[in-house]
Amino acid sequence: MIAKGKFEDLVRPILQSHCVQCHGEDGNVKGKVNLLDIENEKVMMKDPDFLELVMEVIDYEEMPPEDEKQIEAGKRVEIVEYLRERLHVALNSTEKVPHTPIRRMNRFQYNNAVVDLLDLNAVVFPLPERMMRDHSNYFQPASGKMPEKLRVGSRPLGKSQLIEKRLAGVSAFPQDLRAEHGFDNRGDHLSLSPLLMEEFLKLSISIMQSPDMTAKTSGIWKTFFAAPKDLPKEDQEKEVRSRLKPFLTAAFRRPVEKDVLERYVAYAVQSLDSGIAFSETMKGVVSAVLASPRFLYLFDRAEAEAGTKEIDDFELASRLTFFLWGSIPDAELLGLAEKGRLREPEVLRGQVNRMLKDRKLKRFCDGFPAQWLQLDRIISAIPDRDTYEDFFMGQYRLSMHMMLEPLLLFETVLIEDRSIIELIDPEFSYRTVRLQNWYGETPIKEKVSGPTALTMYRVPTEKRRQTGVITNAATMVMTSGPHETKPITRGAWILGVIFNDPPEPPPADVPPLNEKKEEVEHLTLRERFSAHRERADCKGCHEKLDPLGFAMENFDPVGKWREIYENGREVDAAGTLFRKHEFTDADSFKDAVLKEKERFVRAFAGHLLSFALGRELAAVDSPSIDEIVELTTEAEYRLQPMIHAIVQSEAFRLKSSSKDNSLAGNLTGPYLRNP
Amino acid sequence: MNTVSRRSFLRGASGAVLSLPWLESLAATPVTKVAAPAQRIAWFYVPIGVVRRGFFPGEAETKIPVFQGGNNRRGFVASEIEIPVGENPFPFTPTLEPLEPVIDKVALVTGMDRTYQVGTDVHAQCASCFLSSAPAYSIKESAWPLDRTLDHVIADTVGETTPFRSLEFSCNSHKDNKESIHFDNISWYGTGHVAPSLRDPRKAYRRLFGTQEIEAYRNITDLVLDDARSMKRHLGYADNQKFAEYFDSIRSIEEQMEKMEKLRGSLAEVKMDEPAEAHLPRGEYIRLMGDLMVVALQSGLTNVATFMVGPERWDTPFMYESLFDKPVSHHKMSHNQTKYIDALLEVDRFHMEQFVYLVEKMEGIQEANGTSLLDNTIFTYGSGLGDGSTHQYNDLPIIVAGRGTGASMAGKHLHCQEGTPLADLWLTQAKSMGVAADRFADSVSTVSSLIS
Repeated sequence: MIAKGKFEDLVRPILQSHCVQCHGEDGNVKGKVNLLDIENEKVMMKDPDFLELVMEVIDYEEMPPEDEKQIEAGKRVEIVEYLRERLHVALNSTEKVPHTPIRRMNRFQYNNAVVDLLDLNAVVFPLPERMMRDHSNYFQPASGKMPEKLRVGSRPLGKSQLIEKRLAGVSAFPQDLRAEHGFDNRGDHLSLSPLLMEEFLKLSISIMQSPDMTAKTSGIWKTFFAAPKDLPKEDQEKEVRSRLKPFLTAAFRRPVEKDVLERYVAYAVQSLDSGIAFSETMKGVVSAVLASPRFLYLFDRAEAEAGTKEIDDFELASRLTFFLWGSIPDAELLGLAEKGRLREPEVLRGQVNRMLKDRKLKRFCDGFPAQWLQLDRIISAIPDRDTYEDFFMGQYRLSMHMMLEPLLLFETVLIEDRSIIELIDPEFSYRTVRLQNWYGETPIKEKVSGPTALTMYRVPTEKRRQTGVITNAATMVMTSGPHETKPITRGAWILGVIFNDPPEPPPADVPPLNEKKEEVEHLTLRERFSAHRERADCKGCHEKLDPLGFAMENFDPVGKWREIYENGREVDAAGTLFRKHEFTDADSFKDAVLKEKERFVRAFAGHLLSFALGRELAAVDSPSIDEIVELTTEAEYRLQPMIHAIVQSEAFRLKSSSKDNSLAGNLTGPYLRNP
Repeated sequence: MNTVSRRSFLRGASGAVLSLPWLESLAATPVTKVAAPAQRIAWFYVPIGVVRRGFFPGEAETKIPVFQGGNNRRGFVASEIEIPVGENPFPFTPTLEPLEPVIDKVALVTGMDRTYQVGTDVHAQCASCFLSSAPAYSIKESAWPLDRTLDHVIADTVGETTPFRSLEFSCNSHKDNKESIHFDNISWYGTGHVAPSLRDPRKAYRRLFGTQEIEAYRNITDLVLDDARSMKRHLGYADNQKFAEYFDSIRSIEEQMEKMEKLRGSLAEVKMDEPAEAHLPRGEYIRLMGDLMVVALQSGLTNVATFMVGPERWDTPFMYESLFDKPVSHHKMSHNQTKYIDALLEVDRFHMEQFVYLVEKMEGIQEANGTSLLDNTIFTYGSGLGDGSTHQYNDLPIIVAGRGTGASMAGKHLHCQEGTPLADLWLTQAKSMGVAADRFADSVSTVSSLIS
């Protein structure tokens, strides 16, 4: 009863006096937010996502806008407290965990899973999404240390990098696109069609028919494919069964059911009986396994009754490996799952530690960081060749060097278990000789490497402003046009990537600068933009975006430091972060970001959890995020404890069988083809 | 009854699955006349709208619009000449000029709108929902008004007899993983379930004509279908619905194999070489993909096809070899018409020329009864934006060709009453293809003069 009174006494008057003028009254629904819809507390609590949004914008002082009447500080705290309490109550009364829909593996996972299942020492097909190639075997997570010097290549930009061993005669299906503000493993984006199914069928056959599919390439050749010596015909079936049982268990990620096993055994026996040799028969079986939905699909088993339930040990094993290895569980994980021990806290912790030390962790590094940083954008960022001549080296561009820098930083933070704050503010970097010169720091006294395999050296950085994923050259280049920087793009990148709070899509917010050359050539970019910041309909977003983007104005379109524009005007990078922390340049901007450390940690945890679960996060996940942030903070923001915290979180450990997805629901017919 | 019109036949079956033996017995019946050719339908989607003053009649002298984000009904300065609703002479505006050689086979349709559902990017929705046009907010749990698209709805009726129920083509050759699926696809099986497109000419060729490869599939499909059936018992209701995609995909492939087998003879007559693996200038690439679509329609591989001449938004520059000496971004230019008007007009004209190429190609193909492939195809050019700069969803640029012009509109310009939903055209086309429906998406009526 007290709470109900609070809505009427505390919230409604504030909404009336500070909010509804723009969000509800007279058809004004800026940002599509209509606060008049919240008639009472009950209505408010029905939509926890919306409630969370309202709470956050008040808490972060994003609303009301800067030049509007503000909520008095004491009231603000009181309201936020009340809303937070209501949010938790609302969350407890709704479904606990959103369901990640059944989905096929994406291209990257499929490749890794086939490699692991057949123990191949080659890749199945080339994957340009793996942005960095290891040319010196530097990636040794078990050592807990990254080397002082290593050789790497930039896959998408270094064209002659197809030197890794791969299966002849196998071609890939197209790369899966990243979800907007998300990753390429999102359950709601991964579906199947006849076109793709044909590709999968084709793959399952061409992989097994590849001339490379021999004892030299597959580590399971001897135990699985090779014909047993002198085996009497009557023992064939038994032999096949004993080989298929562990194989199918590995492929399908749980002990193979008897009827399934017998079907595959019968298939193999039929093949042998028809005169097909043993090894060829087993290859044929594997082709079928690779096309089976039990291999291709990831899903949580439904429960008989709707509700939230802890995932079983096998589901846990799969979640772990698709998170950290981009692939299927290995025998050790499946063995522990079979014993029902994987869920034991100490066993789980030990396994996660083992996974973090395994070289398969490279797949996590090939997947998460580049997508989190949206690094693929650098592929299409091409500065003007005439203006930035030194950016180009014949057919190559310096962006090849640049894109490797944040990826190696991420790997170092992970392998050496450092604080994620170092992603923003490290005191070291990996750079090539050229890149070090580009930044204008003490030259590395080594030979210039390249053009495609690059030697990178771990160097202590001298200018703080050029370090970390926000201000390193890669980010500055990919958020610029050929001739000019793009403060709004940069601001949007920082909001989305660093604070996990992406603004509305650009077309609704970015009119071009409609201007005549002679009128604007004496202006700074900030002055030119000020016009449309004054427009009321642009203001909301730009108040948030502009300070972030203009803070980067000292970095030109190729990421080099500048203090004056070409027209002689001084760069003005000063601003205020989140209307709280003033800054004057890149260094003090970094300090401002670090004052919002918790917000960054929270955002980063959100990105990582979303990647781990293959779904978008919802308000119901916020208790999990709270917990992850707390545990990570206690561990001085180190990345490995954060990964442990994610694995232990409710969001990771639970699954839900909603009314819509319990076994009780009625089955309907196909919908790819209407009946 | 000596001849059976395929259309009345399909109507009679009212969308039921046609069994092949029945068709064969039909063919075996002694006939005095050659059976009517199959009716086909295809769409040519142009991304990012057009420059209005270059395309629409009466707007040549209007002010060049400034950028406006979101859907904006007042986005453009209306034509100074009031265009009467109904039939008008065909206007040879600069962008429509390339249509001159095929003028008696095409009609311009203006005044049609789609409804924008607030909440997603304008570009993402204008492409992905172009052939869906579901009423705003009618699709629960999705930010997009995206339902089963028209091509699949029609394929439900006319796609059962061909190896491929429908084919999807796209000329997006971007290598960077920049945009999400909603910018890249106009064909959807349903909400959240994309029908991916063929975009590599070589792969497309092999899919259309490579019967040998898929022979090997036969061996394993039974086994994996058993796996799928036994897997269903572990899935909840929603997952089971999504998982139907697996059964449907396998079934489609199996049927495709059988049907291709039957087409082997006529496929052997197709004179087209396997494309080489090489970079092609943009125009050649588009025309090659177009050739593949035409040959698929011609040879009975499918009756339904969509063709996306480029992706929506996607700021990465393309090299338009015949137009500019540097790669340009269509989308970026579209936001500043004042500055890039000439280049944008060239892009619009370039896309129109590709459309005309395909129209001429179809017209040049003679079918068994002496008519042309174009005569038996409803072929529609269109974009999901009325203008790339204003991002308006109203007064979309639409051209219908072939059978799509109806009995009397060829060579004319049909201006629709303000507010006519695009879905009216879609309903008209669906009905012309034999779909027994009284409504499609947010349609309110049919366009009577375009009924064929």
